[in-house]
Amino acid sequence: MSEQSARLVRTLLLIFLGLWLILTLFPLYWQFITAFKSAAETNRTIPTFWPEVWHFENLAAVFAERTNFDALVDSFIIATGNTVASLVLGTLAGYAFARFPRQAGGENLAFWILSNRMFPPVAVLVPMFFLFDAMPWGTDSHLSLIILYLVFNMPLATWLMMVFFRDAPRELEEAAYLDGYTPLRAFIKVTLPLVLPGMISVAMLCWIFAWNEYLFANLFVGTKVRTFTIVIPTFTHGSQTLWNLQMAFSMIAMLPPVALFILLRRYMVRGLSLGVVKG
Amino acid sequence: MARLRIEGLCKGWDFPVIDNLDLTVEEGEFFVVVGPSGIGKTTLLRLIAGLESADAGRIAIGDHDITNLPPYKRPVAMTFESYALYPHLSVFENIASPLRARRLDAAAIRATVTEVAKLLRIEALLDRRPGEISGGQKQRTALGRTLVAKPQVFLLDEPISHLDAKIRHDLRLQFHALEELRRVATLYVTHDYVEALSLGDRIGVMGRGGLVQIGSARDVFLRPRSLFVAEHLGQPAINAVAARLTGEGTALHVRAGNSGFGFPVVAAHAAALARGDIQRVTVGIRPQHVKVLRNGEDAPGHHVIDGRVEIYEALGANGVLVADAGGVNLTALTSPERDFTHRQPVRLALQTDAVFYFHAESGDNLLL
Repeated sequence: MSEQSARLVRTLLLIFLGLWLILTLFPLYWQFITAFKSAAETNRTIPTFWPEVWHFENLAAVFAERTNFDALVDSFIIATGNTVASLVLGTLAGYAFARFPRQAGGENLAFWILSNRMFPPVAVLVPMFFLFDAMPWGTDSHLSLIILYLVFNMPLATWLMMVFFRDAPRELEEAAYLDGYTPLRAFIKVTLPLVLPGMISVAMLCWIFAWNEYLFANLFVGTKVRTFTIVIPTFTHGSQTLWNLQMAFSMIAMLPPVALFILLRRYMVRGLSLGVVKG
Repeated sequence: MARLRIEGLCKGWDFPVIDNLDLTVEEGEFFVVVGPSGIGKTTLLRLIAGLESADAGRIAIGDHDITNLPPYKRPVAMTFESYALYPHLSVFENIASPLRARRLDAAAIRATVTEVAKLLRIEALLDRRPGEISGGQKQRTALGRTLVAKPQVFLLDEPISHLDAKIRHDLRLQFHALEELRRVATLYVTHDYVEALSLGDRIGVMGRGGLVQIGSARDVFLRPRSLFVAEHLGQPAINAVAARLTGEGTALHVRAGNSGFGFPVVAAHAAALARGDIQRVTVGIRPQHVKVLRNGEDAPGHHVIDGRVEIYEALGANGVLVADAGGVNLTALTSPERDFTHRQPVRLALQTDAVFYFHAESGDNLLL
């Protein structure tokens, strides 16, 4: 009986996993084959599940337009700039909350900072636009989005870094004080290396969020600066959407985060499990 | 090099942990603080190191008042109970850390670290990470880190308590042999009385609020100021028996239990006890002063009472016997090759001139 029910559970689990796999992999598959279809083939009433002719030139066509390449560069500048800023601010704030909770404003302030990440972004879309428009750097610039994305990424970075710092034994810092290091030097020599895996995870999360952001980018930038997320929907020809080029470009745009993830996967796993397993 | 002087030190959180503590540790002295867990021993070290700030009082090293200096400006080195080795650095870099803090040049650092590592017999491990070495090696690394710092005061927090018995013994011998520790003031904290008796030039027994007795190891062991001190030094622990004193003048008698445990008080003790006109006491009898007699054996100068064996443990170097003697449980030390069965009748010889008498409420030693 128990062996039978164990097998039943196993079967159900496999079915669930199979469905889950189809659900997550199908969009990727669809993106891949569409990227190599001809424009005509993408618009059939009865879709094809495998390209009749592989149009590899679609990839080249994306980069035939200089602006498309520039959009990737703009996205890269914004994502990287924002990640650096989030990491610096989040690390310092997280350290303060972890080590000097009372002086830093306590649990309530820490939670308020995190809660900034919880409101629906669209609620502040318009006020933010006017606010940034009044700033010296305006809205249509790298700096505007670098700063704006701090609203989302800095709380995340602060909160996660706070957790990582809490898990880094305080005694190690104290040992460094007794070795003769000032608090700043002890922080750099001992504490920072301990939370480095955590910092790398945080950096990846921030970078990917900023890289993928569409809502604010669509409203803020578009003339001098254009991120790839707002360029992709502009791939049209007359009234016709060029699905194949959109898919080709989005496939290319997916590569940096995927590469980043594969390169830093080791740290990512360690960083995210830092709070779970002590040792 | 200088002495460590602490005056009127106070520290507390919800309750006072250290209350008006005075202590001087001379240059070259090895002072051991012994006391139960959680009593504030580590807090005392952290106050001296500057990791906690004192509520009141003064800490001075030589002529320098360091009470308000941050830890990195104090000429103090400390080993932590957890060793607190930097996990991301090699053993070499861990030991070199205090030298790097002073920005010494690489050649000087290499020479000093190698020398200290050789002294501690860890020179083969210098390239390893702390995660790759044993507990005893970690302790030596932590010790090496404090030795290279050449401080004026050493603070050692339970340095060998978490190691297994053999390594503990090795390291205890090593502490004896380390010249460096014998040149400066060293404050060593432990809960193990054996370490205290073995290592301390002087020891201080820490109780609630501070040090309850300070003196040479031998003196504190032989003349405990209170029951707390007596109970804390010695293994197995001293027999503490709540008792009544009966009789008049110097002809006093101890009575306890429900079925006639008792013995006459020796004249020298009776004189001291009679002065206080005291009826209720706690009698302290160390297990080594209770002798389990063999058949027909005599014990001149002892008071012999009858008992029955409750528990017997043969522990290799000695045997520990717990006997019910007239309603009182007495622990006695025997030689380990002897054998006893449960409820077997035994005759116990008490060395009554080695008994302590403590005040029933305050626990003060009434003979001092």
